[in-house]
Amino acid sequence: MNTHPYLRAYLAGVFLPTLVLPLLLAMFIVVRIVLKVPVPIEQAIIFPMAVVPSLFGLWNMLWLGSHPHTHLSIGMHGPILPLLMAPAGALVATCLHVLEFGSHGVTWFHAFQVPYTLIAPCFLAVLAGYYLVWKYIVGFLNRVLGIA
Amino acid sequence: MNENDELRIKKLLQQALPPVEGDPEPGRDLWPAVLRRLDDRPSALPWFDWALVAGLVAFAAFFPASIPVFFYYL
Repeated sequence: MNTHPYLRAYLAGVFLPTLVLPLLLAMFIVVRIVLKVPVPIEQAIIFPMAVVPSLFGLWNMLWLGSHPHTHLSIGMHGPILPLLMAPAGALVATCLHVLEFGSHGVTWFHAFQVPYTLIAPCFLAVLAGYYLVWKYIVGFLNRVLGIA
Repeated sequence: MNENDELRIKKLLQQALPPVEGDPEPGRDLWPAVLRRLDDRPSALPWFDWALVAGLVAFAAFFPASIPVFFYYL
């Protein structure tokens, strides 16, 4: 099965964010409607819905294209993505007033306070999560689709 | 190449490649062994990955506000 490997790489990349998106939407709806927390769903969902799945797909295509030259494993390739996504996501969130900078920390979705001292551990946690997700989920999908 | 040449080449090839002695088929069906070997691939997570999973769970437990932020980037 050697036809359209980049299309298969894209599909393998978008699989997980597409699967997570309805769960994320459900979580936001529960928080807003059931728990009555004024989370701005419309603004908060733009980045995870419009940007993240495409970036995952394109990043997997990039791995497929660059792997013969770099020999970088999928588990190491994945955590590089947050280095681009974290500032981009923060910029989008700031522009949409989902992320606000305060004197002691940032406030996400008008509800979740993150002190400045915890931003670095948060980022490391995101890197660790991406390492696991790309190594085990995207890597598995790549093997299933015959591109790894 | 006429018919005599073809017959001569056929005879020479048969002389050069002797027939397989005995039963050419294996004594048993090898396909189940192939499937068993595919299933036996190591699936255990390395200790480092277990440590990362534990660290992530602990981080989320001690700092639940990070969960929606993580999902925002997934």
